[in-house]
Amino acid sequence: MDSCEPLHLVVPATLLDAQAATERVVNLCGRLGIEERALYGTAVMEWLVNVVKHSYAHASGAHITIYVAAGPEAIELRIEDTGAGMAPGQFEAAPSELLFDESDLAALPENGMGLAIIKSVMDSVYYHSERGVNRLTAVRRWAR
Amino acid sequence: MLLEDTSEGDCLVVSLKEQRLDAVIAASFKEALLERIDHGQHNIVLDMAYVNFMDSSGLGAVVAILKHLGDKGRLRICRVTPAVMAVLKLTRMDRIFRTFETLQAAIAA
Repeated sequence: MDSCEPLHLVVPATLLDAQAATERVVNLCGRLGIEERALYGTAVMEWLVNVVKHSYAHASGAHITIYVAAGPEAIELRIEDTGAGMAPGQFEAAPSELLFDESDLAALPENGMGLAIIKSVMDSVYYHSERGVNRLTAVRRWAR
Repeated sequence: MLLEDTSEGDCLVVSLKEQRLDAVIAASFKEALLERIDHGQHNIVLDMAYVNFMDSSGLGAVVAILKHLGDKGRLRICRVTPAVMAVLKLTRMDRIFRTFETLQAAIAA
C-alpha cells in the first residue's frame, strides 16, 4: 500500500462539518485502496459527533482539529477539541465491543454505541486531556 | 432527507435515497419511519441500496424502528451495501436484522 500526504483539518464543530470531514477521511482511505475505508470513516464520525454533542454541547464557534495519516503500516487518527471533554475514566470504562442480549428486543441499544465502534475498529485507542485540550489518538495496524 | 414509499400488497417499501444514514439525518429518519408505523404500516421493507455510510446514530435509528414495530410488525432490510453491512457485522446487529440481497426477496419473505 502506498502512502499519501496526511490529512490535517480544522473544522467547525457541527454535525454537517463532521460529515464533510468524515467524507474526506473515507476518500483518503479510498485513494490508498484501504478496503474497509467506510469503517474508519465511521470511527472518525463517531468521535466527531461525540465532540460536537457532548464535549462542546453544540456550542457555536468551536472547532475540531483532525489529523489522519495512512500508509503501508497503519492508519493513525488524532482528533483534538477544547470543549468540556469526558469525565475521568469515562472513556476507559466504555466497552470495547458492543454487548447485548440478542433475544431481548427491548434491550437492544439505540445509542451509546459510538465508543464501542471506535474501539472495535481500531487496534489501540487513547484519550487524554491536558491543559484544556482533549485528544483522541487511535491506530489500526494492517495485518501482514 | 429523501424517502420514497412504494406499496407492494400489504408491504410498504421505504427507500432511503441518501448516501449517508448518520447523525445528521438519523433523528428525522427515525421520526419518519415511526410515523409510518403509527399510521398502521406494520410490514416494512427498508431499501438501503443508496446508503454507503452508516454510523451508530443511523444504526440506532434502525434499531428504534425495529423496537417500535415489536411483535406487531415485521422489518426487513434489503440491498445493504458492503459499507453498511460492515457496520452491522462489527456491531453484531447483522444477527438482529433480517437482510436480503434483493428487494423482491425481502418482499416475498
